[in-house]
Order: sequence, then C-alpha cells, then structure tokens
Amino acid sequence: MKPIPDKNILLFKSCLISTEYPGVESSTKYVFDKLGIEYTIDHDQSCCTGLGHYSDVFDQESTTLIAARNFDIAIKNNHPNIVTMCATCYAINKKAAKLLNNNEKIREEINTVFKECYVDRKYEVDSIDPTENIFHVVEIIYNKKDKLKDLIKIELSDDLKIATHHACHYCKVFYNDTIGGVRDPNILDKLVESCNLKTVGWFNEKRTTCGAGFRQRFVNKDLSMKVSSEKLISLKDVDILIHMCPNCHMQFDRYQPYIAKKTDNTFKTMHINIMQLIAMMMGADIEKVVGLQTHTIPVNIKAIKNEDKWKKINKAKEKLERKKDKKL
Amino acid sequence: MINKKTSNKDDSKLKIGVFICRCGGNISDTVDIEKVKSNIDAEVVEEFENLCSINGKKNIRDNILNNKLDRVVIASCSPISHEKIFQDYVKPLNPYLMDMANLREQCSWVHDKDKSTAKAITLINASIEKVKKSHPVNPIVCQIPESVAIIGGGISGISAALSIAKTDVKTYIIEEKATIGGNMVKIGKVFSPVKIAEECSLCLLNPLINETVWEDNIEILTKTKVISGSRKSGTFSLLLEKSPRYIDDALCIACGKCNEVCPVKVLDDFNENMSYRKAIYKPFSQSYPDAYTIDMENCKKCGNCVKICKMNAINLEEEKELIPLNVGSVILATGHKLFNPKARPEYGYERYDEVITQNELARIMGVNGPTKGELKIPGSKKAPKRIVMVQCVGSRDEKPNAHKYCSKVCCMVALKNANIIKHKYPDTDVIICYTDMRTTGMYEKYYKHCQDNGIRLIRGRPGEIIKNQEDNLVVKVEDTLTREFVEIETDMVVLSLAIESSDGTREIAKQLDIGLTEDFFVKEAHPKIKPVATDVKGAFVCGTAQGPKDITESIMQANASAAKVFELIHKGIEIEPFIAEIDYELCNNCKECISRCKHKSIYIEDKEIFIDPMSCSGCGECLSVCKQSAITIQGNINEKIYATIKGMLKNKQKGEKKIIVFLDQIGYTAADNIGINRLQYPESIHIIKVHSVNRVTPDHIIYALKNGAEGVFIGEYPGDLMYDKVEKKINKLKKYAEKQGINPDRIQFSKVYIPYFTGLAQKFKIFDEKINSISN
Amino acid sequence: MKVINLDETREKLSNKVLNNIKASHDLGLLRCVQCGMCTSVCPGAKHSNYNPRYMVEKVLENDEKIIENKDIWNCFYCYTCHSVCAVGNSPCEVNQILRQIAIDNGKEDEKLKYFASYGETFLDIGIGGMPKSFFMTLHEDIEGWLDFKAELEEIRKELSLGPIQMPQESIEEVRKLLNKMNFDKRVKRLKKEEKE
Repeated sequence: MKPIPDKNILLFKSCLISTEYPGVESSTKYVFDKLGIEYTIDHDQSCCTGLGHYSDVFDQESTTLIAARNFDIAIKNNHPNIVTMCATCYAINKKAAKLLNNNEKIREEINTVFKECYVDRKYEVDSIDPTENIFHVVEIIYNKKDKLKDLIKIELSDDLKIATHHACHYCKVFYNDTIGGVRDPNILDKLVESCNLKTVGWFNEKRTTCGAGFRQRFVNKDLSMKVSSEKLISLKDVDILIHMCPNCHMQFDRYQPYIAKKTDNTFKTMHINIMQLIAMMMGADIEKVVGLQTHTIPVNIKAIKNEDKWKKINKAKEKLERKKDKKL
Repeated sequence: MINKKTSNKDDSKLKIGVFICRCGGNISDTVDIEKVKSNIDAEVVEEFENLCSINGKKNIRDNILNNKLDRVVIASCSPISHEKIFQDYVKPLNPYLMDMANLREQCSWVHDKDKSTAKAITLINASIEKVKKSHPVNPIVCQIPESVAIIGGGISGISAALSIAKTDVKTYIIEEKATIGGNMVKIGKVFSPVKIAEECSLCLLNPLINETVWEDNIEILTKTKVISGSRKSGTFSLLLEKSPRYIDDALCIACGKCNEVCPVKVLDDFNENMSYRKAIYKPFSQSYPDAYTIDMENCKKCGNCVKICKMNAINLEEEKELIPLNVGSVILATGHKLFNPKARPEYGYERYDEVITQNELARIMGVNGPTKGELKIPGSKKAPKRIVMVQCVGSRDEKPNAHKYCSKVCCMVALKNANIIKHKYPDTDVIICYTDMRTTGMYEKYYKHCQDNGIRLIRGRPGEIIKNQEDNLVVKVEDTLTREFVEIETDMVVLSLAIESSDGTREIAKQLDIGLTEDFFVKEAHPKIKPVATDVKGAFVCGTAQGPKDITESIMQANASAAKVFELIHKGIEIEPFIAEIDYELCNNCKECISRCKHKSIYIEDKEIFIDPMSCSGCGECLSVCKQSAITIQGNINEKIYATIKGMLKNKQKGEKKIIVFLDQIGYTAADNIGINRLQYPESIHIIKVHSVNRVTPDHIIYALKNGAEGVFIGEYPGDLMYDKVEKKINKLKKYAEKQGINPDRIQFSKVYIPYFTGLAQKFKIFDEKINSISN
Repeated sequence: MKVINLDETREKLSNKVLNNIKASHDLGLLRCVQCGMCTSVCPGAKHSNYNPRYMVEKVLENDEKIIENKDIWNCFYCYTCHSVCAVGNSPCEVNQILRQIAIDNGKEDEKLKYFASYGETFLDIGIGGMPKSFFMTLHEDIEGWLDFKAELEEIRKELSLGPIQMPQESIEEVRKLLNKMNFDKRVKRLKKEEKE
C-alpha cells in the first residue's frame, strides 16, 4: 500500500461540504483531533472547480491553474499532504498534479500566467506527487483503523443494516492508487467494521454511480433519477447508507423523497458520511459536531445500547424535527 | 593448457606463413596480389587460386611441415564462413595459431582497385601481428552426468521422462503432489484439432503413466520438492525434500479399508472441492503410486486406520526426508495454475454457487466426478436450462492482477465443454460470450461443428453478473454485433479462467537462478530460435511452465527438451577456450565478480570461487572488478588486440587516415554483408573482430588513438547481455579521453544488427566524414 | 458504402483525442477491440441511447460526426468503463475530450449554457457549488432546501466552522488568474451572450 501521512495535512475544503453537509468537515476535524492527526485548513484555498469541470464548463487548463494555485498554498503553508473530503476534489487534484508533473507545456503556461498576473506563485515539477501527496480522508483514517477501534464509545444494535456507497471518483479514476478494491470496493466497509459494526457487503448495485452525473441531475433529470432509483431500490431493506462524497450524499439524501414520490416507493434508508458515523461512534455531539441537522432524511438511529448517548441523539432528533416544523 | 615452449619463443623469431587466396578472381581481380606479396614480411608468402579446396589444404600443410611454420595467416575470405575450415587445414598446428585476413568481404568487395591493394597489405599485417601473440589453446570439452531431473509429473514431465529414459538415461520425476498425472487427469475429455470427437483424457494418459511406472530408468519421487539447487560445470546439485506419505507404498495394497474407517471428511481437491474425501485417501483410482496417503493437516491421529491395516503399512510418525541428487540436466515441467476468479468479484464467483469455472464444469461432467457425470446446477438437483460461458476472465486484460496475454486454450476448452453438454443435454441452451474466437488451424473446424450443434455465441465481454428478484443469474453484456445491451437470464455461469504461472515454476526458477518472463513463465534463451532452452545451460523447459498451451504442444516441447538433453549427454559441450580463469594464489574471495557476471557463471563452492566454463562467454567483465587481478582470460586476448591494432596502424602513410572499428560477431557479420551486397565504405575503416566488445579496454582505445588512429568505432548488438554496460563504459571513456587531450568525438559507439548492413555502411561513411571535420 | 481514401489530409480524430491535454499518457484508445464491456457497465447506456463502445468505434473510424452526436452528453462521468477496460482505454475520458472538441467548435449541447452560471459564481467568489440557474429547481424538488440555505451560516457557527468564502484578496487573485486564462470569455461564450 502507498505510504499514508498523519501530519502536514492540508484538509482541503470542499464547496459541497461547506454548503450542504458542513457536519462532515466538523466531524473530520473531530476525528482527526482524536486520532492525533496533524492538519490545517487554509482559507486562501479555493474550491477545486470539480462540479464545473465535470459539467464541461471548466477547461482542463483553467482547472489545472486553480489546482496549481492550491498546491502552492499547501506547500507554502508547509502542509503539502492534501486530504480531501470529496471524491471529486480527490480526482481533480490528482489529475492536475499528474499533468503539472508530466506536461511541461501546461506547467510553463500556468507559471507564465502566475508571472504575468504578478502573483507570487509557481509550480515546481514534482513538488506534489499525485500518489504520495493527495489523499481522500478515508485513507488517512484507514491507516489509523486499529487506533480508531479503541476510541469507539457507542454501541449500535446488531440488526441495523448498513451498506456502503463508494464514490466513483475515489475508486475508479486512479484505480492503481485505490485502497480496498475497485471492482468490489470495500474501504468504507472496513472502516464501518472498525466502528464495531457490520455491513451488508456486496449488493447488486454496489459499484453503480449515485446517478448525479454532474449535468445529468439538472438537465437530464429523468435519466439521473432512474439510475439513483435503481440503486435505492436495491437498498430497500438497508437502514443506513454510508457515503464518502458530498455529491453522492446529496443525490441520495436530498432526492430520496423525490424519487419515492416519482416511483411510488417508500424508502427507509438514512444517509450519513463515514466521518459523521465515526465521530458519532466516538461520542461526538450530534448537533455541534456531527451536524445531522442539515440532512434532508432525518438520521434516526434506533436501538442504541448506550443509554446516555441514546438520549442525546433522541434530543437532537427532536430538535431537528422541531426545526422541520418551523420550516413548514 | 598453454604451451610454454612456443609461447616463450621471441616474437620476431617466429616463422610465419602467409597464404593468399585469389578466390577465382574475387580477390585477385581487385587486389594486386604481386604487389601484396612483395610488401609482406614473412617466412613463407604463397598465393593460390582456391585455398579452401583440397589442394589448398595440401599446400598449407606441406608448407607448415616443410618450413616448420609456427604461425599461419590465411588471407582470403571471412572467418565467419571459413574459420572452422582453415582451423582444420592448419593441422598439425594448433587451430588457434591461425588467423584470417578478410581480403574479400572487407576489402576487394567494398573498395575500388586503387584502394584495395594497400588495404589488403594492412589487413595481412594486422593478422601477422596478431598471430605473433597467439597462444595454442585447446577447446574445452565438458562431459555432463548422464542423468536428468524432471521437475513436475504432469503430461509434459511424463512425456519428457519417457523420451529420455528410452535412451538408457537415468531419469527422475520430482512431483510435489501425492500422484503423478498433473492437470490432465482432471479435465475429463480432450479433443485434438484434427478430430471432431472428444476423447477420454484419462484413457490417453493412463497408458503413459503405466509406461512411466514400468520404465526401469525412471524413478518417480512423489510428495517431493526441490528445496535448493545449484549448477556447476554441467552438474546440477539438487536438494530434495520428500514429505511423509505416512503409508509405505511398497506395502500398501490399496484395499481401501483404511478409508472406510477414517472419520475425517474434507473437501476433495481432485473434484475442485465439490465433493468430500477422507483424510486418508487416494487422489483418484488410477493414481500412481497405487497407494493411499494421509493428509496430515486434517488427520486427527485417531489410529483407526493403523488398527485396520493388515499390511502394517501405516506409520503416523513418519518424518520428512532430505535427498541430495546430482544430475546433468534439469527439465522444468512445473505446469500452471488458474487465475483467481475472486479477482473479478463482479462475476460473482463464490458469491453465487451457480457461477463455476471451466475446471469445475469438467469435474461435474466427468464420470469419476462429484455427480458421476450428471450435469446439475451446483447446490441443486436440477439440470440447468441455460449455461452462459464467459471468456477471457483474467486474460487479455491490462488491469491490475490480470494478464495481458491470451491464454490460448480457453476458446477450445469452452467449445469442448459446450459441445459435450449439447451432446448429452440437447435442451440446455449454451451461450458463449467471447471477445474473439481464436480457433486457429484445424480447431476452426471444431468451432464450426459446435455452431452446427446449436451452441450460441454472443460477441461481447460481460461487465457484471448479478442475481435478479427471481433468484436467477443475469449476465450483463453488450451484443456488439447487434449493438444491443443484453441481460441474459441464466441458471448457471461458467468462467474461462486465464492460465498463469504456477507457484512451483516461480520457486524452482528462483532456486536454480533461471530467468522468468514479465508474466513469470520460464523465459526461453531465445523465444524464436532457441525454444525449450533457458538462460541456464543444461536447464530446459516444457509445457505450461513456459506459457499457456494445449496438451499436444506441451508434449511437443517435452520431446524437444528431451532432444536437447541428448545433445548434451552424447556430445558433451565443446567450449571455445577463451574464457575466464581464476588464479587462486591471488584471489581473496571478495566475491565482487559474482554479482557482476551477467552470464551467472561464477559461483562459490567450499568458500572458493569457481567459474563455470559452460556458461562463461569470455566477456571479461569480471576482470575489471577484480582488484587482485586474479582473473585472466585464456588465449592472450588482451595482447592480441594490442597487436592487431599495431598491425593495422603499421606503415601508415602521410595523409593516410585510419579508423579502427571493433565489432562483435554480429557486427562483423553485418560488415561482411556490406561486402556481399557490394556496397562501399571508406577505405579508412579497419575492422577488428572481437569475441565481445567488452574485451576492448579503454587502454586499447587510447592506445589506438595515440598511435595513429584518427578514430575508433565500436559496434555492438543491443541484444547482447553486456550491451548496457558497454554503452555506459564508452560514455565514461569519452570523458577520460578528454582528460588525456583527445577529442571525445573521435570515439563512437553504435548499435549493430545483421540485416542492417546498409545502415552500418552509412554510419562508417558519416563517422569518416566526422573525423575529417575534426582533423581539419 | 464507406470509402477509405488513400489521401487523408485532415488530422485524424483519434489522434486529436490522443493528443488532447485530458488524455492520459497511456490511454489505450487504439488498442480497443470493441468488446463492449464498457457498454455493459454503463449507466448511460442502460437507460439511454448512449453507447460508449459505439462512440469509441466512431472515434477510431475518425468519423467527426460523433462530435455532434447528442447521445454523448448522456455520459455520467462515473468512470466505471475506465476502471474495467481490458485494454486500458477510457471511454469516459474520450467522451470528455469529445465534448470539449464540440465546445471548441460551437457544437456543444444546447443545455450547457445553463451551467455557465457555475463559472460566473466561481469568478465572483472563487467557489462553485450548485449552479445558480438551478436554485429554483432544487427548491422545487427538495423540500426545504432554500430554507436550509438561509440557516447555513448559523449552523456552521454552531459547528465552529470558519468562513465558506476565501478572503477578498484571494477571490480577486483567482479571478485575475482565470481571466488571464481567458476563462471569463469562455463562460460568456458558453452563456451564448456574446459571439467570439
């Protein structure tokens, strides 16, 4: 397995986590602190362009330029290990680093743009290694999964059915760097197991995309929802689907009621990011850390054996529902 | 070996005879022979119309005897074609006291009349200087032991063993498993390309097994592995570990009573784990030795078997045994294994009982298999309504864990199994999903026969196999010929798995230091013209240890490797004597030379370093790392190169330009081809043939450049094991030359290939022009 | 009947794709054997007329008409084909390149213009997110989505998270850099407000 750092980490901010599921970021920080992982967040870092890039709006040159700028920020901050919470940030940055290292023309072009804009930035060849400097947060945790086991304080009922949704842009794009399989991805299953929980493992649609398809969700909605609904249907008896990418998370969590209505189905699946699950299982505050209040499908986990925690989560749940009432 | 008497004689007193061949005008029409004769200083200078004729031989021999010649120079054609002939013609003189000046391919055929006479004189002078430094040496003949170890007792190993043993050579079959027979015993039926019908494979194999058992010269060692091995001077010393059988096969009468009382049931690997056997078992009814064995991993040592055995054949405390074995040759027949279907989890092997492999299907269809030949869906009692076969699982796949190569036999295996099913169960629909049907040669006829029998083919590589709500399997594939995305509902799927190298192949290769390909199959010395030979002399390969192939081809390779073994045994190995030798008074056992030797010729035995004459190429690489200067190469090669350079540069005229060219065997042949095709190159080019370019030292090159040569050109075949080293050395040398005040551009290193002779002529011309521009 | 002329002077589409900046250096496009594995795992192919194998076939035939083919806009960029292709080709990457070539030739899908607002937001605040043009649809499809957006700042405070946006200086820097790359012109062109 590739070497995985536990320090000098730049926790790479993601637009969708910031604006849709901020609890993933606070959970990640919480888990990092508990595991003694040294990291920083740099507010000069821009968004990776991913959603625009894969909607064909950003050209490769502009995306690479933005990446080169963010790489320079990471290096100057002395935190060159870029760790993303979003699978698209992961793939976008890896692709850009490869290009910047291997394609002299684009590297020169970008350095010229920096120079001509009087911006004190530069990309030096090989200063960011796509394999050894760019990671998804699940990899950092996977590397510490034995330590993680000792920090789990909450126990959940054995009959909870948990499945995992592995983000395509983590598993499939740079498959040589993927930890835990590509054709039957299982890094999330292993992390769930480290929380003393079981997953259902393989299911028919395990490899299938969430269906967002970037543009498809907006301009090809029927196509997009067909793919998502097939996956949801194959998960009908699953209580929790574990995510590692805010875009997939959004597709299922936000659109599940929409799909239920359109396809005349009822779904009980709750959606939660792996970092939220881990933080929760470590006993983090549901509202102040895990941030479940931004989810569309209320996370209502029953049969928690630890009484204290159960009360706390119940309280958070009530509060969430009160909020919903207000909205109505 | 060196004849001190002659070699001590002062060079200038040596009597040298020069014999010039007119070659029926080939030489004499261009070269002024009279002028050459008058310019040569030698004891005897003779010309002859056809020196290679019987009369020529007589003339040479008479002159040697009458004039008591010490050395001979044959000024005629190329040594590539005629050296062996003239080495014979100079008898009773030692063959290595003769040298050939190439007046035809590298003089009269490449230069005009006005240039070639002077060139001929130079070439003859170079040969004269060279023979002055020649020592009489004798070819080394290695005799190897008349015994062979065959690693692996499958169809390849058995075939090779039978072929060798029948010539009265002692043959050992070393088989890791409890029986010989290999994979062929499991596959049920086979077919050959010229026959449309399938035959029982065990019926074909069994007579061969019996023959192997009866053959006095064959010793079969089952449950035995090679645990270490080395090769020295034509002898392989192997250390074998024989695992206990726990049953004395000489006493066991295979009555089967022990089997009845054994309480332990385990999965039977003979039936691909689809049935059970006992912990005390016989792999299959025809297995050899015809005796039971105990699987000690699962045995509970209850002693039931010991009590019931009337022959007292069982000893539960038997221990493993170490057996040393010395043989002259080794044949690797270590077979293959199959791609792990779990590496393609999307096909559902293990997840679904109904997804099986071709090997498992063969066991199911086998009359001695888990269902006694009845086709049933695993886990049910029903026959399948449909079977979908998926081709290329792990083959022709660049993705991690898979293989880029085609496994060669799977198209035929799938067709065969499909056809057998169609024959017995005409109502079962069989669909083969393929990327390309590769049924070369006569196999195409069988393919058509299968289509006639109603086997359906869909051209597409399935992406996934799932189960639908009806609990049926669904194969997702694009029918690329109709461009339809198809979901095939089926109740059984058979995966055609890639053939990959076996663990045994990798282990034995490591133990004997035999090279493997990037796919971990045994690498042949040359894949085109040296099949079945490995990069270790005396070690051969056959069957699927060398790569995917069918039974027929495996047997062909087995027979070929047997023939190669006979060559070694009956003729021994005659080796050119110009190989490395160690002076033990100087050697301090630093071992630097061992890792340097690309030919794997140097080894340690009893704390002393040895050089194996069988594999030493005389490249001289070891000399350069030996700080003690304890290694020498026989035949005085170093001095001969200096002398040849000296001869080439002798009597250099004012304004004349001389470029020294060092070429190995391949480069020299390419240079000959320039002449054969009557192309021209500048007369400044003076070619010296060397055994290995690596033998030309920086000092030789600097000597040439400081003593009149304007340039030095070194050509080497990139396929030579030493090529990379030489290239690096030349780059270093250029820097060194610069320090000595020599323009490094006067040295050139170049790749040479035999068919690329026009290119070589062009390179000579360009280098000659470059030298002009430097000196001007 | 198709004729393959002896003189093919135009740059071949397959070369254009291979030489595109997006193409991985070891892209196995020319090694494609049309096995159809990509199609069999493609969500777009399952539910629409898009067929990745056919698209690659057309690229290998250097048939430029594939650029104008509307079906190619149904790829999800899920990279499943890319992760299983046995010859190291990536229909997903080829698709992205074809769409870029279409854009360069003004032959992009008509609906692309709606995504231009993503670029505008990026130029404005250096962050992407959901394109503005779809806020109303999102609001319609997802109950309480816009209300939640109104509460976002408060929730983030509760979670002790820093600001969403970069400091103003950095926003300006990103805009300046992107303008130098002519990204602003590209966004305008995609929006179809201005002809180049």
